[in-house]
Amino acid sequence: MSSKEEDSSMEIGSISFPVTEAFRYCVESIRKRFTRALITAISILLGIAFYVTIRSMNTILPNVGQQPPQAYQMLMAIIALLVCGVGIVNSMLMSVTERYKEIGTIKCLGATDTSVLEIFLIEALLLGLLGGVIGAFAGWIAAVGIFSFQFGIGGVFPAGKTAIVMLQYLRYIAEAVGISVFLSVVAAAYPAFYASRHPAEALRYEI
Amino acid sequence: MEKSVPAVKVVDVHKIYQLRGEEVHALRGINLEIPHGEYLSVMGPSGSGKTTLFNMVGGIDRPTKGRVFIDGVDLSKIPSKSMAWLRCRKIGYIFQTFNLIPVLTAQENVALPMIFLGVPKPEREKKAAELLRSVGLGDRLDHRPTELSGGQQQRVAIARALANDPAIILADEPTGNLDLNTGFAIVQLLYRLKAERGTTVICATHDLKMIDISDRVVFLRDGMIENIERRRALTLTAEEFESD
Ligand SMILES: Nc1ncnc2c1ncn2[C@@H]1O[C@H](COP(=O)(O)OP(=O)(O)O)[C@@H](O)[C@H]1O
Ligand SMILES: [Mg+2]
Repeated sequence: MSSKEEDSSMEIGSISFPVTEAFRYCVESIRKRFTRALITAISILLGIAFYVTIRSMNTILPNVGQQPPQAYQMLMAIIALLVCGVGIVNSMLMSVTERYKEIGTIKCLGATDTSVLEIFLIEALLLGLLGGVIGAFAGWIAAVGIFSFQFGIGGVFPAGKTAIVMLQYLRYIAEAVGISVFLSVVAAAYPAFYASRHPAEALRYEI
Repeated sequence: MEKSVPAVKVVDVHKIYQLRGEEVHALRGINLEIPHGEYLSVMGPSGSGKTTLFNMVGGIDRPTKGRVFIDGVDLSKIPSKSMAWLRCRKIGYIFQTFNLIPVLTAQENVALPMIFLGVPKPEREKKAAELLRSVGLGDRLDHRPTELSGGQQQRVAIARALANDPAIILADEPTGNLDLNTGFAIVQLLYRLKAERGTTVICATHDLKMIDISDRVVFLRDGMIENIERRRALTLTAEEFESD
C-alpha cells in the first residue's frame, strides 16, 4: 500500500494473561456454574467408576474360584473403556460447545488462543481429576464391597496375596485417573481451540 | 499529526463464504475511510453484510480480498498476538445479544478486558465501578446478567467496551434486541460517550432512529456501499443528552 499507512506511529503492546489469572477464571467459572460442572464431573465419575469396577473384577474373580476366559475379560475391559471414554468425551465436548459464544466474546476482549486454551484446559483438568479420583475410588469400593459381601473379605483380599492384589487395584485406579484426565483435556481442547481460531463463527453460535 | 491517519481505512474488501459448495458474496468491494472521532452508522437490511464488515474492521475475521487498516496498521500484516492486543486495547465491541459472561457480575464483566492488559485487581475493580456509574448502573455492580434487563445488560456491555479506553467502538445492532425507548437511550449513551471521549463509533443498524445522531451514514446493500450521507447539522448535541 501507500507509504502513508506504513509509517503509522501506533505502538503495539502485548497481552499478558498469567496462569494464575487463567486459574482464577476457571475456579470462578466452576464455582458459579456449579450445577453444570457437577453434572460434567458426575458423568466422568460414573464412567470411571464403571471402568474400575470391571477391571477390579478381573482380579477378584480368579481368587474366588471363578476363572472367566481371557477373551471375555479383555472384552469386558474394552467395553468398560469405551463406555467411560464416550461418556467423558461427550460431556466435555458439550460443556465447551455450550460456551462457544463466551470464547468468541473473550477473544474480542483481548484473549489470545493460548489464553483461551489455558482457561478451558485447566478447567477440564480440574474436572477430569475430580471426577477421575472420586470415580475410581467409588468404582473400586463398589467392586470390593459387592464381592466381599458375596465371598467374604478373603475373596477380595486373599491371605498372603494382599500386597500383590492391592498393587493391582492401585494400578487400575491410577490408570483410570490417567484416562479421565487425558480424555477430559483432549475433548475440551478440540472445541476450545476451534472456537478460538474461528471467533466470528463462535460469536454467531446459538445454543 | 497522528490524526491525519484515519481511525479505520477499508480498501476494496471482499468476503466470500463457502456454504455447502456455494459461494456467498457477503462483501463485494468495500472502500471506506473513517476519521478519528466520527460517529458512523452502517445501515442496511438484514443480510446486507453489516456483521461481516464489523468482523473485518474488528479483526475478528479476515477478508477474502482487500485490506483493513486500524490507525494505519494493516491488519493482514500483524501477528495474532498483536491482533489480540489491538482488539483488547484499541477496539471496544458491543453486540446485539450483549454477550456478557453469564457467570460474572456486572463489575467483573467490565473488569475482564483489563485483565488481559495486566491491570492489577484493585485498579480494575475501581475502574469498572466508575465505568458502571458513568452508564447509570452504579447500584448494580454485583448483579449477574440474568438479574438485569436488556437495556441494563447493554449498558454493562458498553461499560465493558470502554474498559481499556479504546479508540474505536464497534457496535453491531446494539439496539436490535431492545424496545424503542430503551434502544434510543442506548444510542444516546453511545453518542454522549463519543462526544465526551472523542471515541470513533461505528454502529451497524437497521434502525432509522440511529441516523439523527450519526455524523455520517453508510448505506449497505448486498455487500456493496449504495450511498454515503453526511449529516450537515446535528439535531442533537452532547449537552442535550447530559441533561437526560
Ligand atoms: N459464516 C457464514 N457462512 C456463510 N454465509 C454467511 C456467514 N456469515 C454471513 N453469511 C452470509 O453473508 C451475508 C451477510 O451476512 P451478515 O454480514 O450477517 O449480514 P447483516 O449483519 O447485515 O444481517 C448473508 O447472506 C449471510 O447469510
Ligand atoms: Mg448482523
